[in-house]
Amino acid sequence: MDVDAHDSRSAAASAWRRAHHKDYPPFFIPSYLRHSRHVERLHRAHDEHIAELQEQARLNPPNPAPSLSTSSSNNNLHKLHASHVHHRPAAVQDVIERLPPLADEDQTHPLPSRWSESDKMGGLEILTDGTEVRFGGVTKTSDEAASIRSDHHMPRECGLYYYEVTILSRGKDGLIGIGFSSKRAGLNRLPGWEQESWAYHGDDGYSFACTASGKAYGPRFSSGDVIGCGVNFRTGSAFFTKNGVYLAGVAFNDIKQDGLYPSVGMKKPGEHLRINFGHTPFVFDINGMMEEERHSIIDSIRRADVSTLRPPDDESTLVHKLISQYLAHEGYVETAKAFAQDVHQKEQSLSSNPEPFQPPDSEDDIHAISRQKIRKSILDGDIDQALKYTSSFYPHVLEEERNRDIYFRLKCRKFIEMMRRYTELVTATTSPATVTKSIDSLGSNGHPDLHEHSALADTAANGDADGDEDEDGEPDTQMELDDQLHREASKSLEPPTDDVDMDASQELPPKTSYMKKDDLQAAALRYGRELMHEFGGDPRPSVKKQLEDIFAIVAYENPADSPIGALLDAKGRVGIAEEVNGAILVSLGKPSSAALEKLCAQTEAMLDDTAARGGGAAAFVNVGKDFLED
Amino acid sequence: MSILSSTGPAASTMRGSHSFDRKVEEMKPSKSDINWVIMDYLVSEGYPGAAEKFAQETNMASPVDNESIRERVRIRNAIHGGRIDEAIEMINEIDPEILDTNPLLHFHLLQLHLIEIIRAILSAPSGANPIATDFLPAIKFATEQLSPRAPTDPTYQQALERTMALMIFPPEKMTPEFKELLDVRLREKVAGEVNKAVLESRGQRSEAKIRQLIRARAWAEGEARAAKVELPAFVPVGLDAEDVSGGVGGGDGDAMVH
Repeated sequence: MDVDAHDSRSAAASAWRRAHHKDYPPFFIPSYLRHSRHVERLHRAHDEHIAELQEQARLNPPNPAPSLSTSSSNNNLHKLHASHVHHRPAAVQDVIERLPPLADEDQTHPLPSRWSESDKMGGLEILTDGTEVRFGGVTKTSDEAASIRSDHHMPRECGLYYYEVTILSRGKDGLIGIGFSSKRAGLNRLPGWEQESWAYHGDDGYSFACTASGKAYGPRFSSGDVIGCGVNFRTGSAFFTKNGVYLAGVAFNDIKQDGLYPSVGMKKPGEHLRINFGHTPFVFDINGMMEEERHSIIDSIRRADVSTLRPPDDESTLVHKLISQYLAHEGYVETAKAFAQDVHQKEQSLSSNPEPFQPPDSEDDIHAISRQKIRKSILDGDIDQALKYTSSFYPHVLEEERNRDIYFRLKCRKFIEMMRRYTELVTATTSPATVTKSIDSLGSNGHPDLHEHSALADTAANGDADGDEDEDGEPDTQMELDDQLHREASKSLEPPTDDVDMDASQELPPKTSYMKKDDLQAAALRYGRELMHEFGGDPRPSVKKQLEDIFAIVAYENPADSPIGALLDAKGRVGIAEEVNGAILVSLGKPSSAALEKLCAQTEAMLDDTAARGGGAAAFVNVGKDFLED
Repeated sequence: MSILSSTGPAASTMRGSHSFDRKVEEMKPSKSDINWVIMDYLVSEGYPGAAEKFAQETNMASPVDNESIRERVRIRNAIHGGRIDEAIEMINEIDPEILDTNPLLHFHLLQLHLIEIIRAILSAPSGANPIATDFLPAIKFATEQLSPRAPTDPTYQQALERTMALMIFPPEKMTPEFKELLDVRLREKVAGEVNKAVLESRGQRSEAKIRQLIRARAWAEGEARAAKVELPAFVPVGLDAEDVSGGVGGGDGDAMVH
């Protein structure tokens, strides 16, 4: 598995790299599909594809690759970073041209994005990056026309698909057809007249469904008009709009099949159309229609009965059980206790004979408490402590081959934490007190960090949590562990030795009051060399990339404001803490996810399979956006 | 926010219940999303102690206003304890508009108040066979507080009549529909309505998202079965140790809260 798959830091880094490749078309999302699960997935696949291309480019650069020297002086880090920025774009462009497209269209179902260069009748000329099409040929018979389809079909996994066509120029009779068709529809006649094609025609305003005899449907249209065409895969119906106005009545019903392409057809030379697949705002308020669809579906979900999920549990019971199980599974020991107590209190308030709260037996909680300690250390940014705890409580977990990447990321995180502290010192130059405090706290105790992050600043709970640890009767090894940690922490703060190149610090005004800051940078660089020594030989590109990414931090005087500032975000700790917790759970023979997580995954899987089977309401639901955020 | 960590194209082409399990394995919600939904529940349904601890243990932002959660908890406790007048007072302290704009809720509270008065009479030492004068306070409350509202809505009138009937039936001859009125679960129900109304009055979402999430799970299964998606005959939510397929050991060690 890619080391960076779930890593927001590297996602941010790749976003930054992407910004340096302006030539590569960005992923576009039609406004009404912003909520779509399917589009979300396409977007992710697109990003992964680009990351892959970049990786390819990095491994096969046109010029000799900048090698990772064994001497990781700061100077080298600079060079490394510079090559990173300046050499890549060209290389990526190269590879992009050589590599095959994203993936098999049949499986990923991308959105239509332009007119097809091949799926068209002769005489049609495609202009302006595939958004415009003009007829330059001649038709001989009255029946003959020239039609064209888009590059991809409308994915029914979107639930609703909509596009608009602007009539830039219309021939004398205005014989223009706008609609959709399958690949089986011929292109030498207007869509609507052929089998498996449906369209609205401008000359008479008729709608045609797979036959040459149409029905009166809407007004005629001509030059300057904007015609919209939409298919609702849940209802199997199609509609049209003209200049932003919904044309009353459904144009077509019973549209059941998959593989339908937006399609237009023309008859007269000079006829010229522009299509909008969602790259630009639509004239019709399709967003509003989409919202209405979504709301009616969310409403029906609100009325759903959960009694069959785990009989005889009712909804509230199920919620309580899922939350309790999650808290225990994840090792949120204090929350689990507090929740049990709150629930108890709520129950007792209904009872005429209140019983005192019996805290749950904590015999089984030892693992949860251990995991909690490890998590807390990581969340506090104290990676050394987390490593110590892990090797003390679960000696072999991080040595396991399958957890090697987690171990690697923890070690990288330590470097990031050192640079974080350094950044804080840089930004806090006006307050010497902060400087001293911050540098002293680098090591076994990450609390100052917590206080900086307003969340917990005023709860005074941090002290509590630590106090509890001791009161709970820590084993003696705990104290030894702490002692050891302190020793190690102070060791890592020794003044820099001569062999460390201090390039970066020379960029800064050499004021003595910043010395501690420089010490810290030196310590970080020294640690960076250790990292290189331990992992530099790893042949995997993902490891090399991660190392490059984190070492690039050094290149910035104030990394927080740099393009890679996101790497330093404290949020990056959360992902690692979760992975470590998951690895320990698996090593204990427990499922790596809690029931609540599983319930989400089941819901997604069910929605996916249902949507793939025929669109339907499932396509409109996005578990993450609808239920896991405001 | 994205819920899926990785889904290869191959996943969508697999079929069968076994492939369903595998597909579920491939989809992992982000922990921060799950943590959010839990915090949302703790705040929304009033578990202040747990909300505070959870913020600490996850490094999440603390609930914005823990005092407002506790305020809702105090109202809930008053209603659960049958102290309806106290609850009404607290609600009006927060915002008198709440009851003014929710006449149905106000009526439910008053009805519950009447029920509590009757319950006290029935459970008094002489309650097994109360004499008519024992009910005078209940009748006074009903005529002063409830009967003026009854004509405004037929459902009020019916509810009032049924509540008054509690004074006529001896407890042992009550039908289930009357017993329901004396069940303490009615307090819980009204307390829930009040909680929602208070949240709404503050412009907050009145229902915790986790409830919708669970309903979405049930709904999605219904949709999937209707679309003839191949699913195992029963898809367990994974709360029970035996649900865990392929796990080396059971998951029972996790159960800390019973």
